[in-house]
Amino acid sequence: MANEAVKYVWEGAIPLQIHLHKSDVASHPAPPPALVLAPRIGYLPLLVPLIKPYFKDSLPPGEDSIWFDYKGFPLKWYIPTGVLFDLLCAEPERPWNLTIHFRGYPSNILIPCEGEDSVKWNFVNSLKEAAYIINGNCKNVMNMSQSDQEDLWTSVMNGDLDAYTRLSPKLKMGTIEDEFSRKTSLSSPQPLQGVPETDVAGQVKTARIPVRLYVRSISKDFENLEDVPEIDTWDDISYLNRPVEFLREEGKCFTLRDAIESLLPEFTGEKAQTSGEERSMDESEEAQESGEIKLVRIQGIEMKLEIPFSWVVNNLVHPEFYLHISVLVKAPQR
Amino acid sequence: MMSQEEEKKAMEAIKDALRALRKRHLLEEGAHAPAISALSKPLISHGSEWKEKTEKLETELQQCYKAQSRLSEQLVIEVAESRSSKAALQEKELLINDLQKELTQTKEQCAQIKEELEDKTKTLDLLIAENQEVRSQLEEMTNRVQKAETENKMLIDRWMLQKMQDAERLNEANDLYEEMLAKLKANGLENLARQQVDGIVRRNEDGTDYFVESTIPSTCSHRIHAHEGGCGSIIFEYNSGTLFTGGQNGAVKMWDTNSGSLIKSLYGSLGNILDLAITHDNKSLIAATSSNNLFVWDVNSGRVRHTLTGHTEKVCAVDVSKFSSRHVVSAAYDRTIKLWDLHKGYCTNTVLFASNCNTICLSIDGLTVFSGHLDGNLRLWDIQTGKILSEVVGHSSAVTSVSISRNGNRILSSGRDNVHNVFDTRTLELCATLRAPGNRLASNWSRSCISPDDDYVAAGSADGTVHVWSLSKGQIVSILKEQTSPILCCSWSGIGKPLASADKNGYVCTWT
Repeated sequence: MANEAVKYVWEGAIPLQIHLHKSDVASHPAPPPALVLAPRIGYLPLLVPLIKPYFKDSLPPGEDSIWFDYKGFPLKWYIPTGVLFDLLCAEPERPWNLTIHFRGYPSNILIPCEGEDSVKWNFVNSLKEAAYIINGNCKNVMNMSQSDQEDLWTSVMNGDLDAYTRLSPKLKMGTIEDEFSRKTSLSSPQPLQGVPETDVAGQVKTARIPVRLYVRSISKDFENLEDVPEIDTWDDISYLNRPVEFLREEGKCFTLRDAIESLLPEFTGEKAQTSGEERSMDESEEAQESGEIKLVRIQGIEMKLEIPFSWVVNNLVHPEFYLHISVLVKAPQR
Repeated sequence: MMSQEEEKKAMEAIKDALRALRKRHLLEEGAHAPAISALSKPLISHGSEWKEKTEKLETELQQCYKAQSRLSEQLVIEVAESRSSKAALQEKELLINDLQKELTQTKEQCAQIKEELEDKTKTLDLLIAENQEVRSQLEEMTNRVQKAETENKMLIDRWMLQKMQDAERLNEANDLYEEMLAKLKANGLENLARQQVDGIVRRNEDGTDYFVESTIPSTCSHRIHAHEGGCGSIIFEYNSGTLFTGGQNGAVKMWDTNSGSLIKSLYGSLGNILDLAITHDNKSLIAATSSNNLFVWDVNSGRVRHTLTGHTEKVCAVDVSKFSSRHVVSAAYDRTIKLWDLHKGYCTNTVLFASNCNTICLSIDGLTVFSGHLDGNLRLWDIQTGKILSEVVGHSSAVTSVSISRNGNRILSSGRDNVHNVFDTRTLELCATLRAPGNRLASNWSRSCISPDDDYVAAGSADGTVHVWSLSKGQIVSILKEQTSPILCCSWSGIGKPLASADKNGYVCTWT
């Protein structure tokens, strides 16, 4: 009973235009860029089989060590493609122009990647982390049979939501009950009850949500997203792997705002009320001192912060049960 | 629970988020996916499609190879099978050809047989028809035959009746005739008696031979070398001077004693001639031979009329009936005496006895047989019954010869005891005994004889001399010396002279 939002999440793909770095061009003329559609929930190394055929004739002889860069900025391969895009392209660039390298792996910046196996390992590891955060132990992940794991990974790789939906319950990750998902689910045959109190019974009062938070701080203030300067170092991105304590309070809904506040208390109080792409400019000055959250992107969309966090968790979560949140902040003045 | 407003806000936010997702979709994958897929298709197809294709082709190829190998295996099997089937087929074809040939042959044969069968059936029908006809004919014939038989029987009965009637009439006639004859005889006798009383010269009776006075022989008129190897038997013809001699090797010769020349020889007999007999009419000569047979010659023609077989040993004595010239008696060393009928040509009676008979003689009336035996006895037999009539001891050793006198009253017997006895034939009394020193009988079959006037007895001896006794005087009247070897046989001619003697060398002397 996947609802619309989850379908969109899983079907989401970013158009990439991959250019072969000129240092790797061994043929004349230089090959044209390859156009590929990269799944948002996928990873860059998984695209190599699609891309390589385009360039294989042009490659210089020798072993390949593949890595990507965006405008010279080497891309970390273990971050989902959608997240990278949301983080690095303030103004979404469609198609996103990336450069592929087959030689000269920057091992000082990037951890080594052995192709699909590394990505799969990373996935499973994240799964275990998430299980630990949610259940307090990663028994369920460990106890999953090898074939099931394989199938799970395959469903993720292929973007097969149905297969994933079949296999994921085995992980017993438990969902946050939210009435909103039910209400907005078009495929749900349940008639909308007036009072959903009965469904709430038996749910946990508090839950811990695994979240990966990517905070890109931009030194300069900017009016429009187009004006966001290009990133040139990973130091500008801080990565937080902190679970969110989901509090179910009577009469109160735990919103996205509450979640962000709990994650980034230093920017609390000076939150920008974002809806769509509007910003409040009035508080920008105040924000200059304490830093200002300019942008919160999850799965490529910006939402009203009043949105119930439970809905966000249930619909926008990645296959490894992590919620990746990209945040653009104006760096506090030092 | 949340406030209504809060809830509304939340729902709004969610809807907003959904809208944003849709928008994003439209901007990102919605817009670019088709183009990219279109662009990448060729290349993707490069990668995965070709891969898939190659994989498919590879699997197909493998399958094809497998199939091929299977097929080739099958093919090998099939080829082998087909070869064997071909071979079998060829065989079958040959077989079929043969069978066809056989079939045609058989058909031909069948056709032939059918034809033949038809023919046979036709012939059969014909034959059946014929058979029926023949049968009907046969029935007819049988009927006729039956009729004929009955007629025949009838006729025979009638004829028999006639014959009987004839026989009766004949008997009557015979009786009449005999009566008449008897009457005549009686008359004749009366006349004769009358004449005798008158003392006239005697006359001959009917049926008697005329009397000749015998002379005492003294000189040898002829010395004939009759046979080589001994002359065993001599006999004179009745009332003539013709002498028959029988010797070795079946030789029988006829001599004229007046001239001493050979008249003829009789051929045809085998073996040595042991005894001779001549019929009263001088027509048949009978010889007893050592070849168990008797030979009967017709004297005039010189042909053998009969060969009398039946004895199993040598026939040593033979005599023929003077009365009938028909009955012959012979004695052989198989201890039998056989009676033969010359007209029939075979033996009519056989008599067995214990002791071998050396010599035999028939009585004048031809009804009694006198036989002299090895045991020295003289026996008399009835010729018709073959039964012994009487027996008398004649000699102390074997009897070698019996001869009957001309008148039939006396019988002379000679024995190996060198004694010659004369018996009366009716009473068998010994009338006279004659002996002489120097008169030794040569063999078991030395024959002596009586002169025709019944007075003289001549006997040969082993030293070659012939002794002549006179019965009336009872003493030797003459000793005839001429021959050097033992005398085997003597015979006195019926006309009184000569006396003939035969010896072991085959010489025959005639004495007058």
